Amino acid sequence: MELHPSVPAFAFAVAVLAAVAGVVQRFKFPALPLYLLAGLVVAPWLDPEVIEPLPTLGLLMLLFSVGLEFGPDRIDEISGRASRAGLVDLLALPVGVALGRTVGLDWTSAVLLGGVVYMSSSAVIAKLIIELRRAAAPESELVLGVLVFEDLAIALVLAFFGGHGGALGMLAGALLVLGYLALARWLAPALARLLEAASDEFVLLLGTAFTVGTAVLFNALGVSEGIGAFLSGVMAAGLGLRDRIEHLFAPVRDLAVALFFLAVGVSAVSVFDGLPLLAVGLVALALLVKLVIDYFAAAAGGLGVRRRVLTSLYMVPRGEFNLVLGALALAHGERLVAQVAVLLVLASVPLGAVLIRFGPDWTRRLGPRKRRAT
Amino acid sequence: MRVEETVLPGVGHKFTVVTHSGDKVVVLVHQTGVREVYFYRDDEDDAVAELELSDEEARELGAILAGVLYRPEVSGDVRSRVKELTIEWIRVEPGHPCVNRPLADWLARVPGVHVLGILREDEALYPNPPPDLKVEVGDVLIAAGSRAAIDSLKRADCRG
Repeated sequence: MELHPSVPAFAFAVAVLAAVAGVVQRFKFPALPLYLLAGLVVAPWLDPEVIEPLPTLGLLMLLFSVGLEFGPDRIDEISGRASRAGLVDLLALPVGVALGRTVGLDWTSAVLLGGVVYMSSSAVIAKLIIELRRAAAPESELVLGVLVFEDLAIALVLAFFGGHGGALGMLAGALLVLGYLALARWLAPALARLLEAASDEFVLLLGTAFTVGTAVLFNALGVSEGIGAFLSGVMAAGLGLRDRIEHLFAPVRDLAVALFFLAVGVSAVSVFDGLPLLAVGLVALALLVKLVIDYFAAAAGGLGVRRRVLTSLYMVPRGEFNLVLGALALAHGERLVAQVAVLLVLASVPLGAVLIRFGPDWTRRLGPRKRRAT
Repeated sequence: MRVEETVLPGVGHKFTVVTHSGDKVVVLVHQTGVREVYFYRDDEDDAVAELELSDEEARELGAILAGVLYRPEVSGDVRSRVKELTIEWIRVEPGHPCVNRPLADWLARVPGVHVLGILREDEALYPNPPPDLKVEVGDVLIAAGSRAAIDSLKRADCRG
């Protein structure tokens, strides 16, 4: 009997990931950025299509986790300082849209580019903060609060611009997204008690079916499936399942997410084909714009000079939503935005990891003057 | 002592504790159960000491700090008896087979355990809870008994 071709491909992919994780562990460096780079290297020998649906599930589960952890219900829990910073950070969205209009994009593409400039990756940043042990620092609290804002803002933007069915699709998308948000806010808490006595296995299977099913439903109605997965996470949080699902899904999700990042690296190779200089310029501008705006966002959040610099460094990594926006731009026929989105992820995740790893050492001079007694 | 709790989305909870003497300690409780403890001196921007604990280690240390295992003011005689007995705060997690069952069902199969009280969120403590009180998810049972008996209470299975 012959093995299905997906099995050897899967074995190869996981072996590559294991090798990367093993090497990186020795250097106390997070593995995620190197999965991306490893994907670039092994691209000639790995066809991500063959191991589908795992990479796609990886993205959906990533977005689900973001919805679960960074959903709108967190808005009530984050501090006023983080809210002020989140509002300043929001400026990056119109700046990005203006940038898109300046280089001659139509409105939809310009909005997608605005999203690409604006969105930092909650999933990647939270993982880096945990692995590099930065969670106790005041800037981490601010950064994680701001990310809650970003995820809500992009959900609303995608509700209106994420559809690919013209005006009708736009309306359907907006209604669907707002409907899910309303259900998660008002209906889900009432149902939470029903699930308390449910077994772990039931919750795991139901959660998976609900998430993937929602993604399929959204896609069928012409709305981004990514936003469907995100809203499923918001719904699960509303159902009071946050802690349980976090425990149940973590290992499965980590495997699928690692495969997904490897697959992004593999498919990113094709982006370099005929890469216009404009795309590279836009990537550099996107990084710069966000760095500057987030410095002032941290100032609005009441942090000192050193913590402001660190805040803007922490916000560098882009991830899941960039790839969703890139896929939408491609469906819209705008290759440039897709190239910028993928290239930005590829550049910003390793760069951000280095900055978060070494930033606190490099910025020590900016800290408050020591008042050491002599 | 001042304690401030904040939520870190995607990470867990952060407790900032400023002691009477002015020292600052930050305790992070990760979703995975890992605890990180940081100690800050007031003239330094970064932590001067840090400590990482597993969930079990953190509970053990917490019990020592809380004086469950050894109270400094009691005499040696009482101490040895306290050593055999332990008091534990058991949180009822979702999916526990005895959820929504009366306390009597919990205790039916585990001799040697006393539930001293039940803490329920947003409600007052139930001291000496009646046996027909239904135990809900999120309740914290304050149980006293031998370590083995308390362990079997945690694993109580009302379905059998």
